[in-house]
Amino acid sequence: MTSLSLDGLRREYGATVAVDRVDLEMQQGELVALLGPSGCGKTTTLRMVAGFVAPTSGRVVIGGRDVTAAPPYARDTGMVFQGYALFPHMSVAENVGFGLEMRRVPRAERGARIAEALRLVRLEGLAERRPAQLSGGQQQRVALARALVVNPAVFLLDEPLSNLDARLRAEVRVEIRALQQRLGLTTLFVTHDQEEALTMADRLVVMQGGRVRQTGTPEEVYERPADLFVAGFIGSCNILRGVVEAPGAFRAGAMALPCAGGAPGERAALVVRPERIAIGPEGRLPGRIDLVTYLGGTTEWHVTTDAGALRVSQKTPDAADPRRLLRRGDGVMLDWRPEAGRLLSDSNEGEQA
Amino acid sequence: MNESGRAAGRPVAALVLPAVVLVLLMMVAPMVLLFRYSLNIFSPTELMIQALTARNYLSAVTDPYYLAVMATTIRMAVLCTLIALAAGFPAAYTLARMRGRWKAWLTLATVFPLMVGNVVRAAGWMTLLGNAGLLNAALKASGLFPDPVQLMYTPMAVALGIVTVVLPYMILTLASVIEGIPRGLEEAALNLGARPLTVFRRVVLPLALPGVVAGSALVFILCMNAYATPILLGGPQFTMMAPAVYDQFVKTTNWPFGAALAFILLAVTLALTLAGRALLQRRRHPA
Ligand SMILES: Nc1ncnc2c1ncn2[C@@H]1O[C@H](COP(=O)(O)OP(=O)(O)OP(=O)(O)O)[C@@H](O)[C@H]1O
Ligand SMILES: [Mg+2]
Repeated sequence: MTSLSLDGLRREYGATVAVDRVDLEMQQGELVALLGPSGCGKTTTLRMVAGFVAPTSGRVVIGGRDVTAAPPYARDTGMVFQGYALFPHMSVAENVGFGLEMRRVPRAERGARIAEALRLVRLEGLAERRPAQLSGGQQQRVALARALVVNPAVFLLDEPLSNLDARLRAEVRVEIRALQQRLGLTTLFVTHDQEEALTMADRLVVMQGGRVRQTGTPEEVYERPADLFVAGFIGSCNILRGVVEAPGAFRAGAMALPCAGGAPGERAALVVRPERIAIGPEGRLPGRIDLVTYLGGTTEWHVTTDAGALRVSQKTPDAADPRRLLRRGDGVMLDWRPEAGRLLSDSNEGEQA
Repeated sequence: MNESGRAAGRPVAALVLPAVVLVLLMMVAPMVLLFRYSLNIFSPTELMIQALTARNYLSAVTDPYYLAVMATTIRMAVLCTLIALAAGFPAAYTLARMRGRWKAWLTLATVFPLMVGNVVRAAGWMTLLGNAGLLNAALKASGLFPDPVQLMYTPMAVALGIVTVVLPYMILTLASVIEGIPRGLEEAALNLGARPLTVFRRVVLPLALPGVVAGSALVFILCMNAYATPILLGGPQFTMMAPAVYDQFVKTTNWPFGAALAFILLAVTLALTLAGRALLQRRRHPA
């Protein structure tokens, strides 16, 4: 069942187009991450769903009802704001109970549901505290509980983790995902952190300049990026420019490189993920090491080749492995499987990330 | 600046010293002197006889005339404060939520009336409200009221005059507090299903309460001490405390009694302001 659908959403601010032609269909219980660089229109899109920004054109449909013209209080969305927006003059319990009160839930039931929501976010003991007496992480949980407790048709989160430190962020990320799956909440999540999006979302919507560049599962978006922008934005990648010589053969500089498909004569960019490149004494592409970066579990080698500079990332080899001895200036061979080399049209617009 | 000041207390003390001296000289000294006068005895021939008596206070609080004047003053001050609050809040909210160039212009427009003296402003109201004034001319021209309607020298005229004097103070005080209430709180309430009026009642108003308290106290004090407006717009039949005090000093030259009236006015104003504040703050923290 479709719980949220966005249909050709567009929003202009004077001459700037903040959001343009955004389409999205979300199924019940799905978590979709809106991902993109700063200013790409994520917040504006989310706020159009919540009803705080009126679309210039397009429609917002929640649970089969067209709410494009409905005020925020009549939309049944639960939003977690970036700064949490907890009511400072109310206790934690009052904050969480506010939405229930607005829905005229009887007092006794309200108490039980507040307690249940606080238990879900593991804040049982803090019901009588004021928001100012809570840590950032605890405030964040109150904001979650406040939005969850009313069982909204759509759960909206605008960078809810950006105010937390790295450790807490990783923890809360898992918690939100578990909670969302347990409660079957249809969730639209804004973030500019690709790792956050990849780990949490069922599907990603990658935006740039107000437009959707690609929609798909994390795997689809990572493995089969639609364009150079998406390839560069999700994960890191090597981009080589050249011409397709024959299907499966890509010429960059003096080198013929393996790639998947392609029409002969086509100018294109070859995209290869660093972890898909094998490095060693054998291979198709000779190169010279510029830099070795040891990162513990993985090691990165920056290699200059005739086709261009490439970054290679592999699990750190065993101590006995000769690759452990590779140093700056050493000659190496690189190689990758043809299907790891993805051909994308070589447009410049994709690179302004 | 604040922090370095706290770190080294002495330089800051030196900075406030001139202000302290000025206040002591210009405000506290006259007050002490005035209080001393209020304990003296009035004599029509010698004007003032040194004494230490509460007689002036006693006769003031037992005189039905002055009790009535005080009642009029309090009623008018309460009424004007409430009107200023009701009219000022929407204006302050609009001002506080405004952005950019418009905000600067609107703030200027709010302050602008303060640049006109009270007497000049009252004169303006007179030309508007008088029997031959603009409003009556319009009423007459409309044919509905062939005879002039008494607008001047009514409590309504006084209230109108006072409210327009104090409104900017109320608006600016409220706006400065409302500006500190994040817009996101209102959005959160809307998102949770609260209608705009509920958002106002449950979120904006409680958080703006310090501004309501400060603005009302400021305006109430100004109203209790209104002088020019009640005289010019209220006429001889309508008396408030400040003009009554003035009359004692200048017309009757009864300085001791005038001083006693002044201190009674001060005490009543202070007591009512504190009582009002306590009342509002109790609403904020029930139980
Ligand atoms: N109220 C507004 N008035 C004018 N322009 C706006 C307004 N809100 C957003 N914009 C513009 O619309 C574009 C998209 O803004 P939006 O806040 O949606 O970006 P975002 O993707 O959320 O970015 P970030 O990651 O920095 O939060 C930006 O160029 C921004 O300047
Ligand atoms: Mg944003």
